[in-house]
Amino acid sequence: MGLASWLILLPFLTALGVLAVPSRRSDLIRWVALVGTGAHLVLTAFTTLQFWQLASADISMAKTATLTKLYFVERVPWFKSLGVDYLVGIDGITMSMVILTSIIIFTGVLASWNVVNRTKEFFALLLVLVTGVFGVFLSFDLFLFFMFYEVAVLPMYLLIGVWGTGPKEYSAMKLTLMLMVGSAFILVGMLALYHYAGGTTFDLTQLAQHHYPVEMQRWVFPLIFIGFGVLGALYPFHTWSPDGHASAPTAVSMLHAGVLMKLGGYGALRIGVYLLPEGAQYWGVFFMALTTINILYGAFGAIKQTDLKYFTAYSSVSHCGFVLFGVASLNLMGLKGAVLQMFSHGVMTGLFFALIGMVYGRTHTRIIPDMGGLAKVMPWLAVCFYIAGMASLGLPGFAGFIAESHVFLGGFFGNEWSDPMLTRTLTVLATLSIVVTAVYVLRGLAKVFQGPITNPHFLELTDAKLTERLATGILVLTLAIVGLVPGLLIDLIESSLLPFVNRLHATGALAVAGHP
Amino acid sequence: MLMLPELIIVATGFILLVLDLFLTEKQRDLLVPLALAGIAAALGALWLTPDHGVLLGGRFAMDPLAWWFKLTFLIAAFVTVMLTSGLLESAAPEPRKLHSPGEFLTILLFNLTGMLLLASTRDLITLYVALELATIPLFLLAAWRRDALGGEAGLKYMVIGALASALMLYGFGVLYGVTGTMRLDAMPALLHADRTTLYAAALIVAGVGFKLTLVPFHMWAPEVYQGAPPPVTAWLSVASKAAGLSVLMLVLFRVFRPFLHDVSFAIAVLATVTMTIGNLVAIVQRNILRFMAFSAISQAGYLLLGFLAGGSVGAAAMVFYLLVYAVTNLSVFAVIILHNQQTGSTELTDYRGLSQLNPLLALALMFGLFGLGGIPPLAGFVGKFLLFSVAAQAGYHWLVGVAAVNSTVSLYYYLRLVRQMYIEAPAEGAVPLKPGWMLSAGLAVTTAASMLLGVVPTVYESVRASAAAWLQSLGQ
Repeated sequence: MGLASWLILLPFLTALGVLAVPSRRSDLIRWVALVGTGAHLVLTAFTTLQFWQLASADISMAKTATLTKLYFVERVPWFKSLGVDYLVGIDGITMSMVILTSIIIFTGVLASWNVVNRTKEFFALLLVLVTGVFGVFLSFDLFLFFMFYEVAVLPMYLLIGVWGTGPKEYSAMKLTLMLMVGSAFILVGMLALYHYAGGTTFDLTQLAQHHYPVEMQRWVFPLIFIGFGVLGALYPFHTWSPDGHASAPTAVSMLHAGVLMKLGGYGALRIGVYLLPEGAQYWGVFFMALTTINILYGAFGAIKQTDLKYFTAYSSVSHCGFVLFGVASLNLMGLKGAVLQMFSHGVMTGLFFALIGMVYGRTHTRIIPDMGGLAKVMPWLAVCFYIAGMASLGLPGFAGFIAESHVFLGGFFGNEWSDPMLTRTLTVLATLSIVVTAVYVLRGLAKVFQGPITNPHFLELTDAKLTERLATGILVLTLAIVGLVPGLLIDLIESSLLPFVNRLHATGALAVAGHP
Repeated sequence: MLMLPELIIVATGFILLVLDLFLTEKQRDLLVPLALAGIAAALGALWLTPDHGVLLGGRFAMDPLAWWFKLTFLIAAFVTVMLTSGLLESAAPEPRKLHSPGEFLTILLFNLTGMLLLASTRDLITLYVALELATIPLFLLAAWRRDALGGEAGLKYMVIGALASALMLYGFGVLYGVTGTMRLDAMPALLHADRTTLYAAALIVAGVGFKLTLVPFHMWAPEVYQGAPPPVTAWLSVASKAAGLSVLMLVLFRVFRPFLHDVSFAIAVLATVTMTIGNLVAIVQRNILRFMAFSAISQAGYLLLGFLAGGSVGAAAMVFYLLVYAVTNLSVFAVIILHNQQTGSTELTDYRGLSQLNPLLALALMFGLFGLGGIPPLAGFVGKFLLFSVAAQAGYHWLVGVAAVNSTVSLYYYLRLVRQMYIEAPAEGAVPLKPGWMLSAGLAVTTAASMLLGVVPTVYESVRASAAAWLQSLGQ
């Protein structure tokens, strides 16, 4: 069994390990989860190094390739008569997403150190969920992909329903059902992809060699894009996200906003744009318009929020809009931006939700006007919050800046299949959100952390504990590393994205001067 | 040799009937193991039975798919008897105890015989007789508890069942009148694509629709599911549906196959209506048995998708899904039976806090419900996926959408029960359920099967191979 399989299997084994511990030993349960996810982090680092060496040797090949090259491929025939294989592999996009997920789940376990109610079930479900997430990123067989996709979505129902706060049953049900309707769309598209290619294989790399009729691409692409878009918080299908995030417990919000929502962007890119380039050309500008609304709506929505979690959830809607905006811009710069934004938003929002959980655990309120002057009693948390905020409004030096600038440049460059005036106008509109983001982030942070301490009860609060410092420290460090040395990540993903762009151009004949 | 499984079951039935006369109340506890032994022997015999051959001048025949149907019937019967054991034993709690275990088991076994024969019939007369044997004992079983609900269930079932039989008999009559033969295999050559053929087909489908609980022939299901003793409901929801499917496949594939393509739109509409009504009405149910009735109705809608593509892929998808549905539904019913046996309740809200009282039972029930909802990695996912794939292959992409959205709706009400078990706290003074070993074994086996069928491809691959061989034997 190779590295890719281990990356999927390890969290599942950890979940089994957690289940094997008797439920009253909650300290041991946490340690098992922490060691398992820590080992996963090490394994991911090791895989990344290996991947780097292999991929950097092949980088020149990618310039003309129309098929993504996979590494660490493992293929075992499964349902032979259907053409279903157990097919896993790693390319640059996958690698970056695996790194992200591994970091988030490790810090997520640290951030849930104080879960006391039904600890065993909590960690087991969390680890099953993350198994599904790794499965989605690593599988290159559509059947397997879809299977892991549903495994990643469903545990959320119980995680929010049991350990959540507020109207948790409502939020959990809304979230699950909306995502499942999205996956119904995906299923229709997926079966169409399978049968139009002859009904012999679900292998993504083989389906990619089949040229689908243009009319078929035009009706399947929106199904796929919207189906995954529901998970990527595409306007107007984002409404599950604020409620879901606000009700979820800390680690679940972290995983959900940090990683699970990225599955949406990833799927739209990997299946939508990759397999259906002509559909993407036809619909690209429509989805750019929709995601522009996403970006602005989320940002304006965040201004009015008084609950810290809703505040971050709306900001996530806005930032996830960047991901889909980048995907819909259909050029190298935009696609790079999309993947970078997936990574940077994942880390950033993970940090946000971790911090909110820690602050809420102390103040027992998430209502912004009720708080004030908290920086005096919890300087560490305040500084981390500021860093997350700065990253979120795109301050250079953090990952968010790199990602957003790529996305905007990509949008501005546009593509030859849509009116340049239109894409540029949309990009300019979307850029406005940066100003709005600055408004809500700065106002929010000032209210919570600065000024005099309004509530005498706050004076007795303490700063971050060791586990909390570790969790937030890792996330801050990741943000800074990617922000300062973005080349590390860009090298990883660029050669894998080139085939996407080449495919788009291989089908369309027109070339427009000035295209990047 | 070909009929050995049926003969063993009939023999077991008679042995139980006679033995019952000579046993004391206490000694009757032996009857359950005896029935199980008989069914196990029949399973063994089925294993040795060749999967093709004819008897009685071609009126009784084995084919590769009949083999799978018989396997499903026998497994369902075996598990049902295991699940019923707690209610049949002499020490069972009084109001819910099933009296006269000997007669109960005998009737169940005769019913099983009817179903086994049904899969092998090749002409109109044997088909009709086998179908009646597979139906009439169910009326008795449904009314086993002679209380108001049970009486209503039995009577309603019988009246509507008689109507369905009449419809089907009319259909058979028309077929015979047009073709002049009783033999199913001889019919396609003698039929023409005209209104008479369509009329006969419609009558027969309506008659079978009653067994399969296709909307609008589903009216009996909620009351019967609720009024019958839960083990009977379990048996009825699995075996009766399997029998219905075997008749429908017999008729549609053997007799009407040349015209199947022309009516595919009608099948699509029937499937849409059945799954949509089943799912929407299930949402508002508070009683778990009625809830399972509507869930079973919607499952019949999914099953119909397999008829959209007339080839072996469709047949394989239906037979595989039937097998998956049987084990999954029985695993759900195992918990329902136990819960009803020990608390006397059938209300959804009385499952609250089950995950804290009986973690393993709750987990098994959750897996069962997710299996019915088609969530991977449970076998229900693969089963549904295959059926949806048949629809997509036939070009019915919109129907795939309808079916997939329906799955989401079904997930809503399955999650309502999961919510009761996992999110709500247990009621004051609630005590954990104590399952007997036989019920636990039945639950463990069905739950394991409902997972493994979706992960281990062997069973599907052999169903697929059987379906291909069967299609070839059908001739073109």
